[in-house]
Amino acid sequence: MEATVVKIKYKSRKRRRLITAIILHIVLIACSFVFVFPFLWMLFTALKTPAELLQGIQVFFPQTPQWGNFLLAMQRIPFFLYLKNSLIVVVLVVIGTVFSATTAAYAFAKLRWKGRDKWFIVMLATMMLPIQVILIPTYVMYNWVGWLGTRLPLIVPAFFGGGAAFYIFLTRQFFLGVPKELTESAIIDGANHFQIFIKIMLPLSKPAITTVALFTFMGAWNDYFGPLIFLSNPDHWTLALGLRSFQTQYGGQYNLMMAASILIMLPTLIMFFFAQKTFIEGIKFTGIKG
Amino acid sequence: MVKTSSVTKLKKQENYIGYLFASPWLIGLIVLGIFPIFMSLYFSFTNYNMISAPTWVGFTNYRILFTNDDLFWKSLGNTVYHVMIAVPLGIIVGIALALLLNSKVKGMSIYRTMFYLPNVVSVVAMTLLWLWLFQPNFGLINQLLSPFYKLFNLEPLGWYLDQNMSKMTLILMGLWTAGGSMVIYLAQMQDIPVTLYESAEIDGAGWFKKTIHITLPLMTPSIFFNFIMGLIGSFQVFTIAYIMTNGGPSRSTYYYAYYLFDKMMNDNAMGMASAMAWILLVMVLIVTIVALRLNKFVFYLGEET
Repeated sequence: MEATVVKIKYKSRKRRRLITAIILHIVLIACSFVFVFPFLWMLFTALKTPAELLQGIQVFFPQTPQWGNFLLAMQRIPFFLYLKNSLIVVVLVVIGTVFSATTAAYAFAKLRWKGRDKWFIVMLATMMLPIQVILIPTYVMYNWVGWLGTRLPLIVPAFFGGGAAFYIFLTRQFFLGVPKELTESAIIDGANHFQIFIKIMLPLSKPAITTVALFTFMGAWNDYFGPLIFLSNPDHWTLALGLRSFQTQYGGQYNLMMAASILIMLPTLIMFFFAQKTFIEGIKFTGIKG
Repeated sequence: MVKTSSVTKLKKQENYIGYLFASPWLIGLIVLGIFPIFMSLYFSFTNYNMISAPTWVGFTNYRILFTNDDLFWKSLGNTVYHVMIAVPLGIIVGIALALLLNSKVKGMSIYRTMFYLPNVVSVVAMTLLWLWLFQPNFGLINQLLSPFYKLFNLEPLGWYLDQNMSKMTLILMGLWTAGGSMVIYLAQMQDIPVTLYESAEIDGAGWFKKTIHITLPLMTPSIFFNFIMGLIGSFQVFTIAYIMTNGGPSRSTYYYAYYLFDKMMNDNAMGMASAMAWILLVMVLIVTIVALRLNKFVFYLGEET
């Protein structure tokens, strides 16, 4: 008698759990739909004819996928010129940021120097500064040295830690985790700090450096505001600017606009799929330790 | 004696080397950060068009902005509206998504990836995509809503073309990237010790009570972090409006940073733009300080035992 009651209770509990799990999955799938479906709709749109666009969801899938739209989109704007320009800026910004972030991180993590902790707080404070306050004077300064209209204002600051506060912080935390014994025994063996930095710290910190490089790549590739301010010469325009000019010139042609947008999104999406873990770990890091 | 002097020598050397390693960043900070801040303060008291030398005008720029510039107040009002809705809404949606994923559900990491996906996309591409989704006549959203419109005999919404809806449209689009803060919330939720929940369960607490009394209080550090960063970011909202609406219709999405951009890039009014930048800085500073005062409600797990 008692056993059956327990059994029934157990069964109903199990069933209730199953029902909650099912409801939860339904909600989650609905949410996923909101986050992912726009991407699919983007692809469907890119493959439609102009006539199909006007029919809205009456034509849900393109009748015959117009793969040629991607080619057309690339021909409407000097796509490969913009791609080249984007790559020049992005590659140099990544190199510059990795350089300035790792050197500063080494100074903050492994060296004792006067005012170190005060500078560290200053560095954290720079993350909160509205960009406009320094944008106007730097714009004026670049004008003085004749850099306006060139790519230099986008590239040079990266080598001097521009926008690297978070990356310095991240790399520093990683460096702090490298055992003291390693660096100390290297010093006893007669190594100097440059050798320790290059031969011990950098090779050991590949995960941190990868994270920095990935985030910087994505930030620079997707950046619109910086190029908008500084790249006045259309020959230097990056893909983000090119996409905007596509909109102003061919605004009504949503199929081509979506095709062009997919092209610009593809590298970051692919990168994200291959390096998901690095990304998620990096993001977690921002919030918890910060 | 000899030993101590060599130690001080080593310390001195380390001091130099420390500065040497920090120098790329440090030089950048001084030349491209600290110096420009003071320079923009100086510019804010001048008339400067980048062609002739700046001329000192005292507080004129500030006075004009505050007393004789309707667009300044309009853009400030738009921005405050945006901040007051977008920041809390972003936090609520981010936490809600994280709570959904925190329930030991199968396939959590797949869902997490999907929710995060919009964050890796270029802002320009994202804005163009939502421009198409919100397009009033042929866009997906109005098409999906059309049965509702018909049922209740409503006019289809104009979204970014309607000056009463345009800011809300931009805010809704922003929620698409809520997966970014969700990852942070989720990480902190999963750091909460299971024993806390277990003892609550023994006391008979259900999901709701556990969420209110354990999960949310222990998440306050990341909520606080996202709140501050969200505030600072939202005060500078620009690109989405620049691309989706050009500040319109009827200047309804003409945000503060947009006006500042126009002053700087179109009018070459560097003095006026600098004054606006400094007003923005002071506003962000005040809001951050007020928010930091709220820090006493933040609950750090390490400290309470």
